[in-house]
Amino acid sequence: MAAESPTSVRKVVVHLRATGDAPILKQAKFKIPGTDKFAKVIDFLRRQLHRDTLFVYVNSAFSPNPDELVIDLYNNFGFDGKLVVNYACSMILTSYFHTSKGISLVVF
Amino acid sequence: MMDVFNWDGTVSAKDFRIGALSFAQKWESLNSAFPPWSWVPCPKHPWLASPELFQEEGYLSLENICISRPYEVDIDQNSQTDPGEEETSCSEKEDDIDDATLVQSNHHELHYCDFHIVYSYTFRVPVLYLRAYCSDGRPLLLDEIEKELPACSSKESPETKWAFITQEEHPYLKRPWYKLHPCGTSEFMKLLFLGGDTGQPKLEVVLELYLLSWFSAVGQVVGLRIPCKMLNDRR
Repeated sequence: MAAESPTSVRKVVVHLRATGDAPILKQAKFKIPGTDKFAKVIDFLRRQLHRDTLFVYVNSAFSPNPDELVIDLYNNFGFDGKLVVNYACSMILTSYFHTSKGISLVVF
Repeated sequence: MMDVFNWDGTVSAKDFRIGALSFAQKWESLNSAFPPWSWVPCPKHPWLASPELFQEEGYLSLENICISRPYEVDIDQNSQTDPGEEETSCSEKEDDIDDATLVQSNHHELHYCDFHIVYSYTFRVPVLYLRAYCSDGRPLLLDEIEKELPACSSKESPETKWAFITQEEHPYLKRPWYKLHPCGTSEFMKLLFLGGDTGQPKLEVVLELYLLSWFSAVGQVVGLRIPCKMLNDRR
């Protein structure tokens, strides 16, 4: 089987959308190969926001598993040529974590 | 009838039960990587004759799931492989572990986990209870469980420990189980349904999809994965 050339890998447009108290990114739109896992989007967000703990979800009330391929998410939840990925920081949720043990939240 | 703008992120016991059965059905047909969930009824007052007082409570149960991660066997740990002898027939880059070649080292016991989804009357949300054990039945302690589950893999920083897992008496089985504390659930459920930019859903849709959406988040913490096609299968 011939190796795939870069131009034959379909890229997906991802639009990162801040919700709740989350900071808005300067660069909120980018393209990512469809064959990449959603984990890459999450890692990108973490690096951009300098936060380990995020709550990430798509418009259909679903928090995607990091192992899902971006192209599968786009095919199921994409709209208008892009995949909208909403993110919220743990601030909304940490209020009760601080009242429990004061240890930081696990990533969803 | 409450509209979705006022929704507080919680569900009634009745909606939980309806949602749980629908969730179990979808899981069975669309998530064949796992065994199905079963609904375990827990009649509160079985001795009462009147059907109105006979509220069928219950919970969803998924048991005997092996949570041990596969290890590669070092066939000969002591000898050094001569790089020249290495097999170079596989030219593809292998990002994923090929499960067919992994064998459990006999130094590692297999660990199993039971998962129950139970309704909390206090918080009005579902709660995930879990109990893990070895193949000989010995219960696992929390730090042993944490080692197996993906949210606590070595990639994560040490701070991302499970802050909200507590050991409590299972509300029906009256034995100690671990549970993922529900007090933040209503907040992230509100986000899931109302935080997107596609307009407000109808409340009936929210209640119908509640368990599925809830589990997409909570399941990740314990390594139970919902394939995205399950979410997209809407009547």
